This record gives sequence, structure tokens and C-alpha cells, in this order.
Amino acid sequence: MEHIYDMIIIGGGPGGYTAALYAARAGLDAVVLERLAAGGQMALSHQIDNYPGTEQGVDGFSLAVKMQKQAEAFGAKTELAEVSRADLVANPKVLESSEGTFYAKTVVLATGANPRQLGVAGEQELTGKGVHYCADCDGMFYRGKTVAVVGGGNTAAQDAALLSRIAKQVILIHRRDTLRATKIYHEPLMRAENVSFCWNSVVEQLVQEEGRLTGVVLRDVHTGQSQTVACDGVFVSVGRIPASQLAQGQLELDEGGYIVADETTQTSLPGVYAVGDVRTKALRQVVTAVADGAAAVHTAEGYLVQGGR
Amino acid sequence: MAILDLNREQFDALTGADQPVLVEFWAPWCTYCRRLGPAYERLAQQRGEELAVARLNIDEQPQIAEHEQIEVVPTLVLYQGGKALGSLVAPESKAMIDTFLQETLPE
Repeated sequence: MEHIYDMIIIGGGPGGYTAALYAARAGLDAVVLERLAAGGQMALSHQIDNYPGTEQGVDGFSLAVKMQKQAEAFGAKTELAEVSRADLVANPKVLESSEGTFYAKTVVLATGANPRQLGVAGEQELTGKGVHYCADCDGMFYRGKTVAVVGGGNTAAQDAALLSRIAKQVILIHRRDTLRATKIYHEPLMRAENVSFCWNSVVEQLVQEEGRLTGVVLRDVHTGQSQTVACDGVFVSVGRIPASQLAQGQLELDEGGYIVADETTQTSLPGVYAVGDVRTKALRQVVTAVADGAAAVHTAEGYLVQGGR
Repeated sequence: MAILDLNREQFDALTGADQPVLVEFWAPWCTYCRRLGPAYERLAQQRGEELAVARLNIDEQPQIAEHEQIEVVPTLVLYQGGKALGSLVAPESKAMIDTFLQETLPE
């Protein structure tokens, strides 16, 4: 007879390990299936200053390890397993992974979202060394320096506005000749004296020196001409890709691929919950992910008490 | 089996041996390398009989890193009998390392 967990949590980021903590403390038999290490996207942040209770700030990896240890201290387990297929309709639910098949009464999807990359050479090795995906997280490192922001949507506009208050100079690079961002975001950018624009431009190449970014080569999409722009950092803000592949065809997703769920984290299937960045929500932060983790267990307990119906 | 931290002599001895050895080229400043830690330790526990599992700090051994043409950390290289059998850059999951070993280890 296969072991059937009360709850399997896919993904060991802040939402996942908070669900594990609350599940273990509620006496549920819970396991986190994580493909590499605790923390998810958070683990790549050198410094998190907006997580309350850490007055000196905390690096994302250390916070992740603390969250994992805390959940495990109450009895939650971790398997380093990559889930390749999920049958979320079945009862019990079936998860096929690199470490075998797992069965559970409830499943929490905490798979996160990944920033869309530029797709140019050297991007991965320069991540954190001049290439960044979160201005809220890493903008402070560029006080008094020159940064470029790539993108034209709301997030890019907000990132550029935020960075204009920190950096000496902000260069917004966009492949069109106007911003896609909502009008309300335009004015602060147009007004800021230290923001300049490179319209109709895409990043063709990252320039580096001794393993650190020193500039970007831009190509004009109309003329094909290239120019090199010197900068200390580049913030890539060209959207996110939710890691919702396991849910495709089983759960309701929005047009961006995010799993549709309100703050109860309840998805379109009973016994299945979505927490953190993979869920439809207004603000994707560590604090909102951990809140989701707690809510998921609360909602799941109600489902389990009623016999999983 | 525990993970071995290699110096020059150990690197030469282990990579030249008949038993395969997996070496992670890493650096203390590399955020992604830290994320590999738990999976790498698990791998050493699970596969310690089949192969040696080791790490090399490229800041301490820059000549080896240069000679082995390591341009990105973390890079995992599988060696046997003085030859590199294959390499894997910044794996995204433990499963990716397992698959790499399955495909690269001699029968």
C-alpha cells in the first residue's frame, strides 16, 4: 500500500515552506517536493530589506534555509524531487517525480514564477553581477550609479521610477517607440531629470569586464544599427513566466498562465491550492507568499475535515 | 560519503584515478553555487559508492580553473582516468545532475 500524504507541497520557496510549517503544526503529514534548494527566486536575492522582523535585512538564501528548518522542526519533510506530471483530479492525487511517485489528499502548488530573460549570451553568469530582475530587491546597490531598465510595461516603468530616485542616471530601453505602461506611470518618468530613453531598441549583447557588467550593446529595430551604452547594472523587466505547467489542462489559468485563485488559495479543483507567485494576485513579494502558505493550510483543513469532498 | 574539498594534489590524484569523480567548480561569491549545496550533499550520500563527489574553489585554485577552461560557476565536470567525460553548467535541479551522470558515466 502506497503512503498517502495529507498534503504535498510542490516548491520550496517562502510560500511552500510556510504551508509546510502550518501543515506540520496542524498535525498534517506533509512533504515539500523541491527540485534543487529552498527559497525559489528569493534565494537569488543578496539582500531582502522588506521582510519584517529583519532589521539588518537578510539574504534570501539564509532566510530560505531558516524557513525550511523551522518547518522541518515541526515534522515537515523535504524530498529533492522534480515533479514531471501531476494528476490533480484523481483521489488521492498522484505526482510523478524524479524520486518516484507520491500520493496525497491535498496538493499545494508553490511553483513560483520566473522572470522572463533577455535571452542573450552571458546573461546567466552575470545575474547578480550587473544583471538583475527585481528593482525592489536589488536597486539599492546602484545608489549614485548608472543603470538601464529593459521593458515598457507597468513593471518596467515602476522599476525605472524607483531607480530614478536611487541611481544617478536611468536609461529605459524599449523595443517600441512608446511605453505600454498605463498612463499614470508615464508622467513621473517624463518629469525625472535623470531618466533618458532608448526607443525602438533591443539588447543585443551584454558587455562585461572581469565578470561584471559594464554596458549593453543595443540594436535599433528599424535601422539595424548598433550602439554601446555604458552602465553599471541592467534591470530586466520584460515580464514573468509562471511555472504552472503541471496545472495546465487541469486548473483554471488566466491569460498570463497564472493559476486562478483568490486569497483563500483555492483553485478550480477541490483539494488543490495555489500559493505565492504562481497565483493570480496584485503583489508578488515574500510577505504575500508566506501569507498564502498559511491560508492554504487553513483552507485545506476545512476540506480534509469534510472527508476530502 | 562526504564531499571532498580539493587542493591541487588531490585534484590531480582523484581526476587521474580509475574511479569516476564529479567535481563542482564553485566560488564563495557565487549565489547559485550555494543553492546547489543540499542537492550535491544528497548526491554524495546516494552515489558515494559509484563515484567520488568533490568541490574545487576556483578563487583558491585559479590555475586549475583556467586549465580546465571553467568560465561559469557552478560547473560540474565528471572525470575518469585523467579525462573529462562531460560537464554540466548551473543545473536547475538535482534530477538534472542525476540525468547527466546516467548519460555520462561509463557502463
